[in-house]
Amino acid sequence: MTNGKKLSEKSIGAVCAVVSIGAFIILWYWGTQATQLGLLIPGPFDVLKAVGTGIVGKVGRHSILAHAGYSLLRVMIGFIIGSLVGVVLGLLMGWYRIAEAIFNPLFRIIRPIPPIAWIPISIIWFGLGEDAKIFLIFLASFSNTTLNSMAGARSVDPEIVNAARMLGASERKIFTTIVLPASVPNIFAGLQVAISSSWATVLAAEMVRSSEGLGWMIVAGMNNNDMIQILSGIVMIGVVGYILAIIMRRAEDVLCRWNKSGK
Amino acid sequence: MKQKNKMKYFCISVVSVCTVILIWFLCINVFHMKSETVFPGPVKVFNTFLDKLHTKAPDGATLQAHLWSSIKVALLGYALGALVGVPLGIAMAWNKWVDRFVRPLFDLVRPIPGLAWIPMFILLFGIGITSKALVIFLGALIACIVNSYTGIRQTKETHLWVGDVFGASDSQKLFKIAIPTALPMIFTGLRVALGTSWTALVAAELLASTKGLGYMIQQARAISRPDIIIVGMLAIGAVGAIFDALLHLVEIHVAKGMNAK
Amino acid sequence: MPMEQERKINHNNIVECKNVSKTFITPEGEHPVVQNLDLEARENEFLVLFGPGQCGKTTIINMIAGFEKATAGSMKFMGKEITKPDSSRGVVFQSTALFPWMTTMGNVEYGLKMAGVPKAERQKRAQKYIDLVGLSGFEKSFPVQLSGGMRQRVGIARAYCNEPKLMLMDEPFGALDAQTRYLMQEELQRIWEAEKRTVIFVTNNIEEALYLADRILVLTNCPATVKKEYKIDLPRPRNLVSPEFLALRKEITSILDSTL
Repeated sequence: MTNGKKLSEKSIGAVCAVVSIGAFIILWYWGTQATQLGLLIPGPFDVLKAVGTGIVGKVGRHSILAHAGYSLLRVMIGFIIGSLVGVVLGLLMGWYRIAEAIFNPLFRIIRPIPPIAWIPISIIWFGLGEDAKIFLIFLASFSNTTLNSMAGARSVDPEIVNAARMLGASERKIFTTIVLPASVPNIFAGLQVAISSSWATVLAAEMVRSSEGLGWMIVAGMNNNDMIQILSGIVMIGVVGYILAIIMRRAEDVLCRWNKSGK
Repeated sequence: MKQKNKMKYFCISVVSVCTVILIWFLCINVFHMKSETVFPGPVKVFNTFLDKLHTKAPDGATLQAHLWSSIKVALLGYALGALVGVPLGIAMAWNKWVDRFVRPLFDLVRPIPGLAWIPMFILLFGIGITSKALVIFLGALIACIVNSYTGIRQTKETHLWVGDVFGASDSQKLFKIAIPTALPMIFTGLRVALGTSWTALVAAELLASTKGLGYMIQQARAISRPDIIIVGMLAIGAVGAIFDALLHLVEIHVAKGMNAK
Repeated sequence: MPMEQERKINHNNIVECKNVSKTFITPEGEHPVVQNLDLEARENEFLVLFGPGQCGKTTIINMIAGFEKATAGSMKFMGKEITKPDSSRGVVFQSTALFPWMTTMGNVEYGLKMAGVPKAERQKRAQKYIDLVGLSGFEKSFPVQLSGGMRQRVGIARAYCNEPKLMLMDEPFGALDAQTRYLMQEELQRIWEAEKRTVIFVTNNIEEALYLADRILVLTNCPATVKKEYKIDLPRPRNLVSPEFLALRKEITSILDSTL
């Protein structure tokens, strides 16, 4: 009974999703075919076709997949360095008052500046190459992970820390075996924000100055007045963004299962 | 004892910030490790800041004029995004049918960062206020929807049952139980959205604009004036921090009011 | 051999608290929670601190454990002043305070790991205590997957596995339902018989106190100090409805009423 009800609930949801997305696509198609809108925006099937030909063929000097690969590689390097530094610094600041006193005021000056606002200065400092982009992504992932790791270390249950002390853990062991794992759920919340922020930042950086990547693709589309290229780029950006979010969620499910399996 | 500790850590903080500025000064102005055309020293940045308050060169407007232009656009897009996003998020969480039809479309748009729409909007609407406001609107909208939705979904079933027992109508349950429960999350959404709006605005101004702080720093890069860039970045950061602090104040105020009731 | 004998006599008192006071300073003013407390626990003794209310008892345990410092007085453990937490004093917390990201095995072997015991050896020793508390088969479970009673068994095994000289138990069964609580009292009695240790056990449940104690210290409420001492020498395991048990229960309860 309950099983059957659940199933129908699920299928109603699926039908509604198909209907609403279908209606959107039909409206889009009809709008481009039957009204003046067609002069401004390509139809949905033109965009899909462009994505297909972009994967087999080339947009600019590379295929769409290669552009996505360039963007992803930049994100990965900057994200890994940025989140490592962020986790260590955040945990130190959250756990040791002295580390907080030293670093937090500096961090609070830097943090409100969006990573995107660093684009011009990073170009002056690092030139137009990869270093500037990796630096920007480093900033984007660093500040989010630091903030959340700090919150994690601050909210460690003091009773658990006492338990570790009475079991003979040294102060350093308490940091590595208690504070770090206890903060993992918070760290992951930070990493999730960090990865989407990094993804947005790499696009912005590529839009400002680059010769490849998905950000380049849409801005080149703008410069050539090529709406199809912009929209197919956006589709790809959405797909990659979605995959990144899914990967992060899966990783969290595995690493934080002790935190969730009861609920 | 505690007071004394607080004092001690405060002093450490002051010393820390001063040390960094001193190192900055020493590296640039004393040891000349980098040229000031690449990495300006603190004195030059401060002078540029004072100068930019009344000089229009090299980008056509004073710092205040850029600032005001940016704030105006950001607040416009943000207000629109919040006005649409919060009610839509609440409606999606409260009404099954709205959820079923709107959510799939929303999930389709969500993974696309707001600033990816900039090129399309510029082609459609030019580089005026409309494209910028639209980008900001999208960014704010998504943050508001997500958080309002989650907030309403946190309403405890037992609380709704209490409403049922006392014969509350559907709308009474929404306004007296669900929305008050969701209020902290809604405020989180509003704060996140404000941050997103500000970032999106800077991105839009970097790419295509004729005024605003993002335009200012982009112009300064083109003519290699890192001192102006740093002044602009600090202004962007300061405005972002002030916005956030203000909204936090409102949040505390409203949350207090809710508790008093 | 005579030397050994002498040492034992000298240190017959595992814990010695003399004239201990603890005052918390809050924005509203000073708040005394423990006042002029004298307490000693002897070797292999099951000592119960029994008293009403929330106040003071946990602080006493925390001070003996070394988590908190006394405002005045002296606290000695095996002849030495207590300054900080130590693996020779095991604690069982009311909230269990298990490490939620570790399995049962991970929790129980943690103390040995900190002491640098090699993996095979420490797992063998941890297994012994997991078996002792009746959790065989749950070695790989995380705390969230266990029931309240089972979690507290892990807490007990974790504290025992370090083989401390003294066990401090702060209302360990306070959060359990009545049925589980009875069961856990019997289990603890059994564990204590198998692994004799000095235990200081805090409770506000008179039956629990009488069931487990060699000696009961009845405490006053806020600030806590010793009101009266009872030596309980009923044969173990105790019969909860024997006339002697009921008489003692009545007497201590009446004292408590006058305390309030």
